[in-house]
Amino acid sequence: MNIRFPKSLRIIALSLVAIGILALALSGVFTSFSRWVVSPLTSVQTWVSQQYMGVENFVSASQDIREIRQKNTELEAENARMQAQIVELQQQLVEFEILSALLEFARANPEYQYIGASVIGRDPSPFLNYIIINRGSDDGLRRGMPVVTQNGLAGRVVQVTATGARVSLITDPVTRINVRVEPSRSAAVLTGSITGDITLEQIPQDDDVNPGNLILTSGLGGNYPANIIVGQITSVRSRENALFQSASVQPVTDFSDLSIVLVVTNFEPVDFSPLIPESGTP
Amino acid sequence: MSIILSIPTLGLIAILQSAVVSRLPLNRGTADLVLVVLVAIALQKSVTTSWQWSIVGGLFMDFLSGLPFGVFTVSYLLATGLAVIIRERIWRFSFLMQLLVVLFGTMFSHALSFLVLFLQGSEISLATALQIVTLPSIILNFMLSLPIFILTQDILEQVIPQE
Repeated sequence: MNIRFPKSLRIIALSLVAIGILALALSGVFTSFSRWVVSPLTSVQTWVSQQYMGVENFVSASQDIREIRQKNTELEAENARMQAQIVELQQQLVEFEILSALLEFARANPEYQYIGASVIGRDPSPFLNYIIINRGSDDGLRRGMPVVTQNGLAGRVVQVTATGARVSLITDPVTRINVRVEPSRSAAVLTGSITGDITLEQIPQDDDVNPGNLILTSGLGGNYPANIIVGQITSVRSRENALFQSASVQPVTDFSDLSIVLVVTNFEPVDFSPLIPESGTP
Repeated sequence: MSIILSIPTLGLIAILQSAVVSRLPLNRGTADLVLVVLVAIALQKSVTTSWQWSIVGGLFMDFLSGLPFGVFTVSYLLATGLAVIIRERIWRFSFLMQLLVVLFGTMFSHALSFLVLFLQGSEISLATALQIVTLPSIILNFMLSLPIFILTQDILEQVIPQE
């Protein structure tokens, strides 16, 4: 026998069941039940999702790796360019510092005209303290022209070719420069040596020279212009019976690290040789 | 080995000597790259033009140096002469011969330089020169000798066909 309920009654019954289920769910009766059902579903969903992601990565990875490698190569090239640029800029900074110091020296001594030159080599013989510069007779250089750095005297041009010149440094063993000591104004002769040290010779015994005194060119002899700073006395040697005192001098120029120098072009060395009487001449 | 080849080769080595090697001193001594190369070449039995090479090398160095012209050429010729004598007298020589000739070559070169400067009026003490110039130079030349000896041998094997 088929019992048929009125439609409205079925709707009411179903609504009551739904409200009941909702009420039971809200009251927490279904919590343990839902956990028991949902937990394996989550695990399965996680596994399926991971597999999908793996497949998706595999498909898109080759394209990504190619792009990353290309980007990496570009960045490495950029990095190398930047590194080279840094080295170049550091070098330029050093050169700029030297040049600005040289300019300052030139401004402080406006009576002279200068030509800047780069040091391109040193004498192959360890017995000579010579440097080779990249300016020659084409640039107006002549034998005997004094050479200075931003700190003071460096030497003088001893040999000139069209595009280069050889400069004898003040530390060279052959060097003899007439100098004066400040503040006592004592006259003396500066000599170089094979060790690279410079010494002050022929200081009169009575003159008061002390460590710390400045040494400047005196201009005597006509080989160097006057009043160019050469160095500073570090120690004085004086013996009672000797005619002269001598002193060790610390040069103001660091000769081990010379890279740029100034050549004084408007100084004409004086040639005294015609005035020196020949032997046998009355 | 062609004499023509010696001009660019030794010219380049002489420039290297002046621009780089001379700026790397040990005390006051510096290595003599041209001497070491010339000795390494002169000790090779396959080379017949070692005298000419030493003249070319010496001329380059004489042009670059402020020492009186000829000092380097004479020094290199003496060193080459010693190398040639050793090469002809000793049937089988080793790297030690290179060191021996470099030692005497450096001493010839420095003795001649010292003598010339002394005659020119430089007040150089012999003891100081030996201590701070010659001895460090010999050490530096010894340090360069092995790589240059090997390199020269390898290059000559390529350039001159062996029997």
